[in-house]
Amino acid sequence: MYKKQQLSKILFLMLSIIFLALITALLNLQIVQYEKYKRTAENNFLRIKINYPIRGEIYDCNFESIAVNKSSYNLYISPGKIKDKKKVVKFVSENFSLKSEKVDKIIYNNRFRLFQEILLVQNIKFDDMIKASEVLNYYPSLFFKNEAIREYKYPNHFSGYIGRINEKEYGKLQEEGYSINSFLGKNGLEKFYEATLRGKNGYKIVQVDASGKNLQFFKHNLDRPAIDGSDLVLTIDNRLQNYISSIFPENKNGAIIVMNTKTGGILSYVSKPDFDLNIFSNNIATKDWNELINNPNKPMLDRAILGTYPPGSVYKPLTAILGLEKGLIQEDTKLAECKGGLTFGERYFKCWWEEGHGALNVTDAIKYSCDVFFYDLSTKFSLEDFEEYSKKWKLHGKTGIDLPSERAGFFPTRKWYVDNYGKYVGILGQKVNLAIGQGEILTTPLQICAFYTALANHGSWLQPHFLMKTISSKQTDVVLPNKIDIQISDNSIEIIEDALYKVVNTAYGTGSNAKISEATVFGKTGSAENHMGEKTHAWFAGYTNCEKDNIAFVVFLENAGHGGSIAAPLAKKIVNYYLKL
Amino acid sequence: MKYYNWIVLGFLVAILMCGVFFIYSASSIKIGDNLTTENYFIKQIIWIFISFLLLFAIIKTPLQIIDIAIIPLYIISVIALIIVLFLPEINGSHRWFSLGFISFQPSELAKLSVVLLVAKSISKPFIRDVEILRNAFLILIMPLILILLEPDLGTALTLIVSVIAILTVSDLPIFYLLILISPIFSIITSFSIYVYIFYIAILVLILFRANLSKIIIGFTVVFNSFFFFITPVIWNGLKEYQQNRILSFINPMRNPFGSGYQIIQSKIAIGSGGIFGKGYLLGSQKNLNFIPEHHTDFIFSVIGEEFGFLGCLFLLSLLFLFFYNLMKIIVDLKRNEFRFGAVGIFSYLLFQILINVGMNIGIMPTTGIPLPFVSYGGSSLLMNILGIGLILKYFNEKSIFK
Repeated sequence: MYKKQQLSKILFLMLSIIFLALITALLNLQIVQYEKYKRTAENNFLRIKINYPIRGEIYDCNFESIAVNKSSYNLYISPGKIKDKKKVVKFVSENFSLKSEKVDKIIYNNRFRLFQEILLVQNIKFDDMIKASEVLNYYPSLFFKNEAIREYKYPNHFSGYIGRINEKEYGKLQEEGYSINSFLGKNGLEKFYEATLRGKNGYKIVQVDASGKNLQFFKHNLDRPAIDGSDLVLTIDNRLQNYISSIFPENKNGAIIVMNTKTGGILSYVSKPDFDLNIFSNNIATKDWNELINNPNKPMLDRAILGTYPPGSVYKPLTAILGLEKGLIQEDTKLAECKGGLTFGERYFKCWWEEGHGALNVTDAIKYSCDVFFYDLSTKFSLEDFEEYSKKWKLHGKTGIDLPSERAGFFPTRKWYVDNYGKYVGILGQKVNLAIGQGEILTTPLQICAFYTALANHGSWLQPHFLMKTISSKQTDVVLPNKIDIQISDNSIEIIEDALYKVVNTAYGTGSNAKISEATVFGKTGSAENHMGEKTHAWFAGYTNCEKDNIAFVVFLENAGHGGSIAAPLAKKIVNYYLKL
Repeated sequence: MKYYNWIVLGFLVAILMCGVFFIYSASSIKIGDNLTTENYFIKQIIWIFISFLLLFAIIKTPLQIIDIAIIPLYIISVIALIIVLFLPEINGSHRWFSLGFISFQPSELAKLSVVLLVAKSISKPFIRDVEILRNAFLILIMPLILILLEPDLGTALTLIVSVIAILTVSDLPIFYLLILISPIFSIITSFSIYVYIFYIAILVLILFRANLSKIIIGFTVVFNSFFFFITPVIWNGLKEYQQNRILSFINPMRNPFGSGYQIIQSKIAIGSGGIFGKGYLLGSQKNLNFIPEHHTDFIFSVIGEEFGFLGCLFLLSLLFLFFYNLMKIIVDLKRNEFRFGAVGIFSYLLFQILINVGMNIGIMPTTGIPLPFVSYGGSSLLMNILGIGLILKYFNEKSIFK
């Protein structure tokens, strides 16, 4: 039954309590504490002073610098102090080689940040700064600051670069302490290790009057010092990196990677062509930018992890492992006789050696890179087995290297064939091509390098990585290698290793151009046919057995010709240089 | 001949006019003699005009049509709440439909439709207590979760408060409400098992004294224990920044850059207004942009700064008298359904005032809830006025049967 009196009471009570509480709080704020708040408001208020951390630097394994901070003169603007916008835009664009539309846009974007300082131009030459300072009193909204900017010691594809935060990123990262003038890693290690490199903002809450006197109205313990970013020490060796860069054939595109087989650490990581990373911190001109973007050789593409290519014969050791491990072949099993090719169904599959190799066992098939042996072997295993081994040996799937993006490569499944070629696709015929690393298989050069590292370690696959340790003011953190043990019998791996030895070190081996006397080189050539051009991709991948830490390497050149004649000699030079380090 | 309650309408217009007057100041910046104004106050006037057209339209609409519209309205608002989650976020949350120059918050519609549907569903004669609880829960849960996903904690709280208010004034025995809100204490006491056991013991004792069945008491214990165990699991599963967000929601001063900064500045603005204020358009905190969102969430701080304690007292008195007269209408409503719906609308408006003014003077967390009838804001203004329109409509029906 509804009782009117009761509801009246409840509602009136609610109403009165709420309004009484609010009025009491207002009384306290506006009358009791009036003096305190009035003074705070009058005396120029309280300000939060943010101390930005210094970004960590990047070094190679010998503490030689790769990316460092250097001092720079930067021009700032306070939008609230602009008197004549047109005049300011004209002055800035004329004196600091910046397009007037760009200056206009920066001012427009920040039109409501009246009392903030907005970065306009970075890295101004000392002379220009002095020249401009003489007339700066006509432009009260502009002022200079001496700050740090990033300098990259050489062009490369791993360090990445930092760039000015954009409005969208600012919206997201504001709460994490980024300012509208912040720079952050846009790519590469700078992006991957952004949190480590950046450090943490410090701040101070200052309550000052016009004369700078500290008022201390609010008692608080909210001040924090800035924590500078940690330095990264990489496994990269600048000497080897620069040497490989210098011997890289001119006008060729490709990638060369060298890995330490004990740790998985990357000693050298070259992808060509490359570009000067410093243009991003030097207010990149539109012309340079267009050149970079429209260059048909794509200098911004990191071919080591973002390029996927048919691996060709460097894939054959995997096919051989599959045959050996599944018991399809033994050490001395000879398969179909190579007469320069093999007829399969209605198709004729050519071997690269038109005169024919004859009937070979697995060791010789790898040594001479005979295609027919692997064609025949492919008829004995299923596509699913092959895919399983591809995945198991990490030739398909991301390696998990410490870079922000990476491609997984490609291995066609039965479903993929049916979807793309129709129900009646001849899987057997497709498999013949896959067995020699052709057909639809695509891998990144890094996957190949990691594969040969795993061969060198007799089945221990190591995750490739750049970071050796981080160093902050408080501590040093050393990165431990990430290892996966792949099941393989001693017998199989010995046969493969023997074959890779013979490729380089015996007469008529396809990789004999990589032979050196100071160390034993194991390797495999590859000349992969592809859709990009008439010439084959040149591959040479392998590893060493020497007195220093062993290395694995991959040399890959787009459309450069045969692996044995083009890539193997480069590998020889690299190993020789490494041994002398 | 329709019968209007001119006192309520009169106070409403007075409050709305105050709002326009303050929005003009809040969207202006005056430095020296240089005055720049954005046109929010004109937009607000247009919105008020449209809202009043709809208010009178509601009063003219036959009650049967309004009654039929409640369920479709609820479904539309749930669908709108789902769609809005897939739209690009604005200011870090998915709250708005943005149609060029106006934007609309579906949660505003949800508030009204949830309140009306709950009121309708529990006002059948001879309804069992369990059914009341079940209906209220089922109606509330979907919109509540969707609003929490946006995320919009303030509106979610408002929704809960208005439904609890309806249950309070319904025939539901009071200890059911006790059971309903008991998990809040379980969450608070989850830091220590001893405190929790002590709390549960007291709770069980109270329920025994109320002669409740063992099944219900057992359910309450299980229900509470669930929250007790799940809270640490959820809390530890949160990322550090999420934990920080919740902690600074409860205590804004933890985060002196975000919400804490706003509240410090808002307190300084109101405090420095003193008794008489700094004068119209002359708030220094506002003019120097220290107060964020002047014309929406923090408009009260502009009022406090420019018109001081007397200005605040004047506005709060207007609001008090308005609500007092509204209350007098509500208690006279004879039909349960009308009375429950009206109490729901009354309580979410009142709660929003508490939350918003409380936030401005630093005694409540920052939630992004505007001050009803005063803040600038298209959809919230419209829905709030329509809510009043509905109460007036109910009042109208009552007077016919007199």
